[in-house]
Amino acid sequence: MTDPMTDPTTGTDAPCDLTVVIVDDHSIFRSGLRSELDPALRVLGEAATVDEAIAVVVATQPRVVLLDVHLPGGTGGGGAEVIRTAAPLAPSTLFLALSVSDAADDVVTVIRAGARGYITKSASGAEVSDAARRVAGGDAVFSPRLAGFVLDAFGAVAGETAATTDELDRLSAREQEVMRLIARGYAYKEVASALFISPKTVETHVSAVLRKLQLSSRHELTAWATARKLL
Amino acid sequence: MTLLRPTDPRFTGHLVRPRLRIVAGVCAGFARHSGLPVTFVRTVTFVLALCGGAGVLLYGWLWATTPDEAADGAAGSDPRGDRLPKAALTGSSGAPSDTRTRPGDPAAGTTGGTAAGTAAGSGGAIEATADARDGEPRRAPVTEILLGLALVGTAGALIANRLGADLPVDAIIPAIVALAGTGLAWRQFAELRSGAGPQSSGMLVRALGALVLVALGILLFFVTSENPNVWTVVVAALSVLVGVAVVVAPWAVRLTRDLSDERAAREREAGRAEMAAHLHDSVLQTLALIQQKAGPHSDAARLARAQERDLRDWLFTGATNGPVDLAAELRGIATTVERDYAVHVDVVAVGSVDREVPDALLAAAREAILNAARHAGGSVSVYVESSPTTIEVSVTDRGPGFVIGDIPADRMGVRESILARMQRAGGTASVRPGPGGTGTEIRLSLPLDIQEDTP
Repeated sequence: MTDPMTDPTTGTDAPCDLTVVIVDDHSIFRSGLRSELDPALRVLGEAATVDEAIAVVVATQPRVVLLDVHLPGGTGGGGAEVIRTAAPLAPSTLFLALSVSDAADDVVTVIRAGARGYITKSASGAEVSDAARRVAGGDAVFSPRLAGFVLDAFGAVAGETAATTDELDRLSAREQEVMRLIARGYAYKEVASALFISPKTVETHVSAVLRKLQLSSRHELTAWATARKLL
Repeated sequence: MTLLRPTDPRFTGHLVRPRLRIVAGVCAGFARHSGLPVTFVRTVTFVLALCGGAGVLLYGWLWATTPDEAADGAAGSDPRGDRLPKAALTGSSGAPSDTRTRPGDPAAGTTGGTAAGTAAGSGGAIEATADARDGEPRRAPVTEILLGLALVGTAGALIANRLGADLPVDAIIPAIVALAGTGLAWRQFAELRSGAGPQSSGMLVRALGALVLVALGILLFFVTSENPNVWTVVVAALSVLVGVAVVVAPWAVRLTRDLSDERAAREREAGRAEMAAHLHDSVLQTLALIQQKAGPHSDAARLARAQERDLRDWLFTGATNGPVDLAAELRGIATTVERDYAVHVDVVAVGSVDREVPDALLAAAREAILNAARHAGGSVSVYVESSPTTIEVSVTDRGPGFVIGDIPADRMGVRESILARMQRAGGTASVRPGPGGTGTEIRLSLPLDIQEDTP
């Protein structure tokens, strides 16, 4: 359904090199996802708990980790804990969060921890593969639901707009437009053509939003994060 | 007078006191439980009350041990409910409970009888007065009325004594003291039980004071009697113990029942949470897997998705405090549309509306979603943005698309039920090509009247 990113954006364009690790506590889901994934993605390993996941990620150093948000083991931190512990030990690894839920606090948890994208588990194998490829290419993967949440959390609906690009607590007018279109179900390429900008620029905006989501002191985000001891 | 028929659908297997009551609801509850007419039960109780006070004792005992109807749902597992009718049946002979509560010398037996008789009379009076406010669920202030009557009775007895009537004052005054103590103690216990937290220590002192009054009243029987001996002392001590126990017992019974109710509620809540966690781990994952394996637009995926949404609603109702009404309504529409058509409707809501959304907007949105499902299929995105000034709904599909100018005749529905409807509601609707030039995007926009919420 979604478009694979066009060449100038993916940059590397060497999908055979894309190595992934699947982390999920349900073996049915792991095997199901594994069989559905694009053959170009090479699965290096699987893990079912936080501790296993950290061990596997550090040992295999994959490019992308498909990470379930809710995981047993460790100190109970789930997927976010995996990211926080494993990321320093695997510097070239990127994390794509998978979850059955679309709840705002799940989103905040993993994005704050450093995930580069967030999709729901009901996405098809092709969609997951595509998202993994985009994350590997350096993009952020935003689902429509996540875009909607971002608009809400940054007060875009109430008319708050950032005047300068350094402002972390608000979205710029352009970023808001991009988020709105993504929330409407537009793929990045469609956003680009609707706004008459290049797909590359769309990704720049999305990455900027992701960075704001991770760094801003926006009180809605902070409240969620502190209430759940993420900060 | 007959408040509840035995054929009442609310008939339950357990003996409970209904909310619709005259004194304490014992007669009505027993009538409902046994299937006898309420009037009959009341008459029998009254007649028994005249027979040495058996009816009053029975009434009091059932009142103390039978739960309120309000607590019935929680007390469903209470084993006591099954035992009560038997107690009622054995107690109806009157004699056993009488001897049990009033042990000892014959004088106490007769005074118990007279005191109970006056109490029964007062009970009848309350029944009559309360009958005027037929069916009012508010409780009559029974304790206050009984206390007042007791004082009036004392005064009357004293006056009668002065006038030369031969009344056993020695027996009546202790009986009244004991009854007053009982009434006060129960009242304090009721307040304690209802959990008026901060001053509960003061209340405990007051309750103990009332109990001392009860003990004093019982002791007075013996102090005022002639030629005391060892047995009098023993009987007096036992009487005090039994009397206090009788006063405290109903409160203790209710307290334990409250505790068990609370424990049962906690267990239910824990069970529910555990089940939610389990379903989240197993069933939701499986449903997600089915959707993934079956391909996004197959029937299996559609069913799995509908089930997932239902289950999620059921599990996490109240947990989400995001955008209200409008988003929920649209999700409801999405669910029903998905059930009927092979589509996948995604609803994303931003902002929240804190007021009624006009039906016209919902109806137009529904029509737009249906239209997309019918003519485009595949996946449909619904986006709602509610700002303080405008509500905007956009419905995007990736079907063949159409231009408003060349809508064929069979698509008049769009023009009438979406465009015209929005115009009538004071909003606008536009149809344009969807993302990337494929499909259709229908945008509905409704300005909110700011004046509306200022008054």
